[in-house]
Amino acid sequence: MKLIKSIVRPNKVDDVKNALEKLQISGMTVTEVRGHGKQKGHTAIYRGQEYNVSLLPKMEIEVVVPDTIVDAAVKAITEAARTGEIGDGRIFVIPVGESYKIRTGEKEF
Amino acid sequence: MSDPRISSIDTPPDPRALRRQRIEAARAELVAATERGAGGRQALRQYSHRMDAMIQQLFAEAGPLSQPVGVFALGGYGRRQLCLHSDIDILILFAGPIGAPDERFLHAFLNPLWDLSLTIGHHVREVAEGANLASDNDEFLLALTDARAVVGDATLLDQFAGGTEATKTAVRTLDALKGLIAARHARFNDTLYQLEPDLKESPGGLRDLFAALTIAKLTDPGLLGRGGSGPRALDDAEEFMLRVRSILHLEAKRHHNVLTHELQERAAEYLDYTGATPRQRVERLMGEYFRHARAIDRSLRWALKAAPRPIGPNLVRTADGIAFLEVRAAAEHPETWLAAFDAAIAGGCAVADDSLAMIQQNAARYRAEDFYPTKARRADLLRFLKPRPGLYAQLSEMHDIGLLGQLFPEFKAISSRVVRDFYHKYTVDEHTLLTIRNVERLTGAPSERERFSRLLGELDEPELLVLALLYHDVGKSRDDDHHVESARMAREMFDRLDLAADARATIEFLVVEHLKMSVAAFRRDTEDPEIVRQFAALVGVEERLKMLCLLTLADVEAVSRETLTSWREELLWRLYVDTYNHLTLSYGDEVINGGPSLTVELVRNRPADLDARDIEDFLHGLPRRYLQLFSPEAIYRHVRHAKTLGSDAVDAWLERQDDGWGLTVLAHDRAFLFSNISGVLSSYGMDILRGFAFTKADGLILDMFYFTDQERFLELNPEAEEKVVHRLKDVIFGRQDLVARLKSREEGAGRRHLPGFAPVVHCDNDSSRRYTIVEIVAENAIGLLFRMSRTMSESGCEVDLVLINTEGRRAIDVFHLTRQGNKLSAEQQRELTENLLRVLEGRP
Repeated sequence: MKLIKSIVRPNKVDDVKNALEKLQISGMTVTEVRGHGKQKGHTAIYRGQEYNVSLLPKMEIEVVVPDTIVDAAVKAITEAARTGEIGDGRIFVIPVGESYKIRTGEKEF
Repeated sequence: MSDPRISSIDTPPDPRALRRQRIEAARAELVAATERGAGGRQALRQYSHRMDAMIQQLFAEAGPLSQPVGVFALGGYGRRQLCLHSDIDILILFAGPIGAPDERFLHAFLNPLWDLSLTIGHHVREVAEGANLASDNDEFLLALTDARAVVGDATLLDQFAGGTEATKTAVRTLDALKGLIAARHARFNDTLYQLEPDLKESPGGLRDLFAALTIAKLTDPGLLGRGGSGPRALDDAEEFMLRVRSILHLEAKRHHNVLTHELQERAAEYLDYTGATPRQRVERLMGEYFRHARAIDRSLRWALKAAPRPIGPNLVRTADGIAFLEVRAAAEHPETWLAAFDAAIAGGCAVADDSLAMIQQNAARYRAEDFYPTKARRADLLRFLKPRPGLYAQLSEMHDIGLLGQLFPEFKAISSRVVRDFYHKYTVDEHTLLTIRNVERLTGAPSERERFSRLLGELDEPELLVLALLYHDVGKSRDDDHHVESARMAREMFDRLDLAADARATIEFLVVEHLKMSVAAFRRDTEDPEIVRQFAALVGVEERLKMLCLLTLADVEAVSRETLTSWREELLWRLYVDTYNHLTLSYGDEVINGGPSLTVELVRNRPADLDARDIEDFLHGLPRRYLQLFSPEAIYRHVRHAKTLGSDAVDAWLERQDDGWGLTVLAHDRAFLFSNISGVLSSYGMDILRGFAFTKADGLILDMFYFTDQERFLELNPEAEEKVVHRLKDVIFGRQDLVARLKSREEGAGRRHLPGFAPVVHCDNDSSRRYTIVEIVAENAIGLLFRMSRTMSESGCEVDLVLINTEGRRAIDVFHLTRQGNKLSAEQQRELTENLLRVLEGRP
């Protein structure tokens, strides 16, 4: 079981959600986040004055999937979120030790 | 003294003697009443009446009048409470300027009064002086509250008082009265328990009684019936005080109002107070006096505490909030209701419950047009909608009592309307009102959303944004595309409010497109320049962009408490900045190049004197932005002028705008053209607020400046427009030097210079394919544009496109430059920046 954490462009969330749903992955957490990658933001100009936009708005999508579909999920996210430009985002795959349903206390594998 | 009986036989009667006889008879009448202990209201009224007759006779005998004149009794005489030795205060009002014949009339009228040894306090005024009434002296203002016509043209008093807005006069009079009361009471150590009281001046005396009555008269006629000692006790007190005062005048044989120990005994005798000794009689008299003085004092204190403050015609501020003084009268005048809510916003309070109840009961009787039947009332309504703290609360109140739906019948369609969706948490009407609250919050300082607050502050007509918000969801009364239906419903309102064409277009745009910015900001990749370009094409100009941005912010925030996160705010702001930059920096690359889609409407609807080719030739090569800045009528006018423009000619004309003037110049490009035009305007002291300059590839330039004429040169001088245009041509053709004239203006303005902020000059070679863009933010000043553009021209640059904007003290100008047809090199940019900064900072 793996936690797949994706940082994507805000306008790509719906595309990523649709792609994951096609893999029968429906449970997910979406969070508005800000950050920067290698490009470390950029300089913007408003009325002649420059200012740094160092933390860019992004969306974070978290899904927990069985090991068997991790590769498919990563591929689906990558294809859905890619524009080919700098700032497309990152995907992190993290091992999950155990998982419990809070309502029932039931352990999931 | 001659015997009148003899003179009546041998000689004509001496009019002076007859007048003296009449006055003596009147005084004898008052003396007799006083001696009977009855020198109170009735006796004084009779004496005042006799005095009126005397004045009417003297007025008739004073000779011919050269203009309408009126004589008015003031103060105690005006109240018909003239005592035996009181001053006779009169106001003599002339309809027009007072000339020599009027002076002769005044002498003829006043001299006989002085001959009668009467003490006359007279004010001579012209009706026009009523315009300064609110700044008149305190005593005169107070005396006027009791003014009544004695003889002559009685209408002059209304004309005189009407020169100043009644509420303003009332407020000023009340303030004066309060000041006089405090000063007078201080002279008596603020106590009414004086052993030898002054019947007129002491606390609890006649002046206090009249003060209480005056406060009620100016604020709420029913005031003294609801508190204090009550009307009956006041009547008794007045009668007592007047009777005693008459005795004092009789005994002292002069204007004397102090009830001394000696006079207390005389008054007790006249008024038949019982007691074995004079002391017992005096004690009874004084006991009575203090009882009445307390009654007066109590009523005055009540009046001072409870009197509402006049704030407008039939409108007062009470402890309960803003109220109509005459609620029944207000019920018949729905056009006056909005003023109550406006005053509530201004005063940071509520509209009083009884006034709200009246509106609730009567609102349905009237049509929307009845609430704003005149142009002035429609302007009031638009002013009312300007976002400011309290607007949401008052609009909500108006909605709750059914008034908002009467003013804007389309709004009724969404009253308590429930539309189920995943996001919205409130009914449609409340969501709408919350959007207005969200805009209102941007006006409070300091705002958490400083950058959006600044946008709101920059709007020329923020009330249009509020109107658009009010209508953006009214179409949700139907299940179809609600923005289309909302726009249709808004158009019905446009006609009722008789909105200008620009305002209609702006509101309709905002209503129809109200979802577009949230879609672009939150669901599109705004880092894609094409998305920004498309969005910029949709909004067209900066003002609409700012409005749509603010509308989107307010709309998203009003969906639920959680909808507008700082993350979404950031996305919205980034789209705003990118679009703003596109509109101001990149528009030069987007020119009209012959494609029919942009011009087809203009060609189809052209006037008969223009053919399609004229229009297409003129538009070819102009930035597309031009089409969004000007109405078709303005464009046809430009085409007409361009068609007849000679190769070396300059065509210029001035037009009055809503809030200033516009100068349009059509010419073929020549050196220093832009700086010369802006310099000529500055040389007349004009403050340039906005403007555009376009240059076509064929060298035709079109410059448009909007400016204010601070010195009213254009308004006050009949041939001023021709003079300005004439000088403009002289300067452009080198027949007149501008620099010297401007220098003296700049030096004059420099002496009044306030500490400013450091100017910013930013050169950009990336935003446009064709131009180097220079953005300048600097403190606005006379001749600023002239100096900047001249520096550019002197640096060898061609000024092709210009956007001029002024926001408060900041001038925000964007120049599109080339040098010998190319963009500026890095070195040329550095040099230009240094030159500009040197000029802007005033360095040598």
